[in-house]
Amino acid sequence: MSDNMNVGAMLTEQLDRLFEKSVTRTVLVDAEAGKLPEALWAELENIGVTYALVPEESGGVGLSWADTVGVWQAIGFHAAPVPLGETMIGRWALALAGIDIPEGPLAIAEDLLQLDAAGALHGDGIKLPWADQAGHFVAVAQGQDGLRLCLVRRADVVSAPAATISRIPCGRLSLAKVAPVAVAPLPAALGPLGLLAHLAVLRATQMGGCLDRLLALCVDYGNTRVQFGKPLGKFQAIQHMIATLAEQAAAARVAGAFGCRSLDKGDPEFGAAVAKIQVGQSATAAAAIAHQVFGAMGVTDEHSLHFFTRRLWQWRDEGESEHWWAERLGRYVVSAGSAALWPNLINW
Amino acid sequence: MTTTSTFNFEPYEISEDLSALRKEVRAFVAEFAPCWTGHDLGLGWFGFDLEFSRQLARRGWIGMTWPKQYGGLERSTMERYTVIEELMAAGAPLMAHWIAERQSGPLLLRIGTEAQRQRFLPLITRGEISFCIGLSEPDAGSDLAAIRSRATRVEGGWRLNGRKIWTTNAHKCQFMIALIRTAGSPETEKHKGLSQFLIDLSWPGVEVRPIKDLTGEEHFNEIVFEDVFIPEDMLVGQEGDGWAQANAELAFERSGPDRFFSSFPLLPAAVDALAAKGGPDRLAARRIGEAVAQLTVLRQMSLSIQGMLEAGKMPGQEAALVKQLGTSYEQRTPELVREALDLKPGLHQDDRLGEMTAFLTQFSPTFSLRGGAREILRGIIAKGLGLR
Repeated sequence: MSDNMNVGAMLTEQLDRLFEKSVTRTVLVDAEAGKLPEALWAELENIGVTYALVPEESGGVGLSWADTVGVWQAIGFHAAPVPLGETMIGRWALALAGIDIPEGPLAIAEDLLQLDAAGALHGDGIKLPWADQAGHFVAVAQGQDGLRLCLVRRADVVSAPAATISRIPCGRLSLAKVAPVAVAPLPAALGPLGLLAHLAVLRATQMGGCLDRLLALCVDYGNTRVQFGKPLGKFQAIQHMIATLAEQAAAARVAGAFGCRSLDKGDPEFGAAVAKIQVGQSATAAAAIAHQVFGAMGVTDEHSLHFFTRRLWQWRDEGESEHWWAERLGRYVVSAGSAALWPNLINW
Repeated sequence: MTTTSTFNFEPYEISEDLSALRKEVRAFVAEFAPCWTGHDLGLGWFGFDLEFSRQLARRGWIGMTWPKQYGGLERSTMERYTVIEELMAAGAPLMAHWIAERQSGPLLLRIGTEAQRQRFLPLITRGEISFCIGLSEPDAGSDLAAIRSRATRVEGGWRLNGRKIWTTNAHKCQFMIALIRTAGSPETEKHKGLSQFLIDLSWPGVEVRPIKDLTGEEHFNEIVFEDVFIPEDMLVGQEGDGWAQANAELAFERSGPDRFFSSFPLLPAAVDALAAKGGPDRLAARRIGEAVAQLTVLRQMSLSIQGMLEAGKMPGQEAALVKQLGTSYEQRTPELVREALDLKPGLHQDDRLGEMTAFLTQFSPTFSLRGGAREILRGIIAKGLGLR
C-alpha cells in the first residue's frame, strides 16, 4: 500500500508538470470547440495513467482509488480538457466485467439505459460528456434480470451536440435498438447505483482541484492587484473572503479523498454522498467568492477564472447534484433510525 | 502552479480495533443518558458534572494517554479520541474535567516541572480537580497580547495584580492556568514578557465573580487578582515564553470534536421527530443528509489533525480551518432543525427536542467566540495563505 501511495504521489507530480505545460489557453478554447488535445492524450496513454485503476492481472497498474485522488485533483486544478477520469473508471469497470478494453478514450453515461430481451439498448436524451471524442462509451443498463454493464460503439448511436456550462464537449444520445459491443453482468463492486457513485466521486475530487486553483488564483491576485495604494490582500474584508474560500477548499479536498477511500472499501454510496454534498456546497460558496475577489476582470472571457468556475457549476450537477445526494442520504438516515445514526456515521 | 495544497490534511486511517472500547463507552453512557433533559443535552459536553467526571475517572477515561506514573493508562491517541467522540455524541457533560484533560494536563506534561506533574496530573486523572484558562481581560479580548495583569518578582515568587474575564467555569474550578505579564508594556512589547502560571483560585486576594449570560445562567466569570502571592514553583515553562507556550496549545484546542459536536444531540432527536411524522419531506431529508455529510467531513479533518499531532507536527493552520468549519456547523444545526421540522422551540421540559433547540439557539453565538473569535481565525488563515 505504501508503495502504491508513492506511485500515486509520483503520478500526481508527473501529471501536474504535464498539464502545467500542455493545458494552454489555446488547448482549452479548442477543446470547447470539440477538439481533443491529441498530443496530451497520447502522453497520458504513454504514462499509463489511463490504465491506473485496471487490476494488474488484467494488464493495468492496479492502483487503489485512494491512490488516484491526486490525479483527479490535478485534472480539476489545471482544467485539463481530457476524459481521463472517465477513461480510468470505464476501463476499470470493463476489466472487472471481463470485457475487452477498446483502444482510445472512453466516455461514461450517467443515465441508466434499458436493455431489451433481444439484447438491444434503448434510451433517450442520454447526456454523454466527450461523446464525439470517445470511440466507445460505457453504460449501465436495466436488463430483464438485473443491471448490466455495456460497452457501446459511439458510431452506432445517434447523437446531437448538447451545450453545457463547462463547454466540455457533450452529446445527447438517442438509442433505439442499439446493439452493444459487449454486455456483462454488473460487477459486484458497482452496487445498485451502477457507475453513478464512482462518477460522483470523480467529479467531487476534480472539483476539489478546481477549488484549490481558485484559492491559488485569489491569493496571487490579492497580493498583486493594488487599489487605494495597497495590495487587495491587505484589506481585511478581502482576507476574510479568501480565508472563507480556503475553508471550503480544505473541506472539499478532504471530502473528495474520503469519497475515493470509500470506493476502496467497496461501499461507494455513502462516500459518494458525503463527497458530492460537501463539495457541491463548497463549490457554490467558493465560486461566488472568487468572482467577487476578481471583480469585473474575473467575468471576462479573456481571464482564465471562468474555465474553473464554469467547470464547478457544471460538475455540481454531474454524477447527480449535492441536493439529490443529500435527499437520498437523509431519507436513508431517517429510515435507519436515530439509534443507528452515530454508529453508521463512524463505520462508513 | 501545482495541485499541492497550502494546507495538509493527510487521511488518517484508524488501524486499531476500537469496537470493544466503543461498546464499553456506550454501555456506560446508557446508564446516565435517560436522566439528561433537553437542557442538559443542549449544554452537551459543556455541561459541568463533577460526579459524572469522577465516574469517567474510575474507568480510567481521563488522561488515559498519559504516563502511568502520573495516573494515566498509556492508551493510544485514537483510544482517547474514541472515548471523547462517543461521549460527545451522546451529549455527556464533560466540562468538569475537559479543560484539564484537553489542555492543562498536556501542557504540564510537555513543559511543566516534575513536581507540577506529580502534584496535578494524578488529581486530574482522578477527576478531583477542575481547571480553567485565564486568557481574556477587560482590555485584552481578541487582542489577547494586550494582557495587563502583571506579576512582579517578590521574595520566593511573584505578586499578581489584575483581572481576567470571560473565564469559563472559574466559579466551579480549583485551578487556573493564566497568561500573565511578567515584563514589558502591553502597548509596546505585546507578545514579549508574558508567562504562564498555575493559580489556585482559593488563594488570598483572588475573587471570582460569576457573570450571568443571556441564557440566564452563569457560565463565565470575572476574576480579580489583588496582591496575590504566587509561589515560585507555580510558573509553567519559561518566564517570558508564555505567548509561544499558549499558542502551541491551540492546535489541540481548535481541532478536537468539541469544535463540531456542541449541537450534535439535536440530530438523532430530529431524526426521531421526523420518523414520528411518518418520514421526512424532501426539504427535511436534504437538511439531515447535509448535516450527516458535513459532520463526516469534519470528523475526517479532525482525525487527520490528530494524526499530525501524534506525529509531533503542529498543524495550527489546519486546526484553525477545522474550528471555523466546525463552529459554523454547530451554529447551523439548531436552524436546520427548526427548518426541517417547523419546530417552535420552547423551554418546556416535556419537549426534549424543543428545549434543546431553544437552549442551543441562545447558546450557539458563543461557539464562534470561544477559543478564538471567527474573525481572528480568518486573519490567521489569511496570514498562512501568504496574504498581508
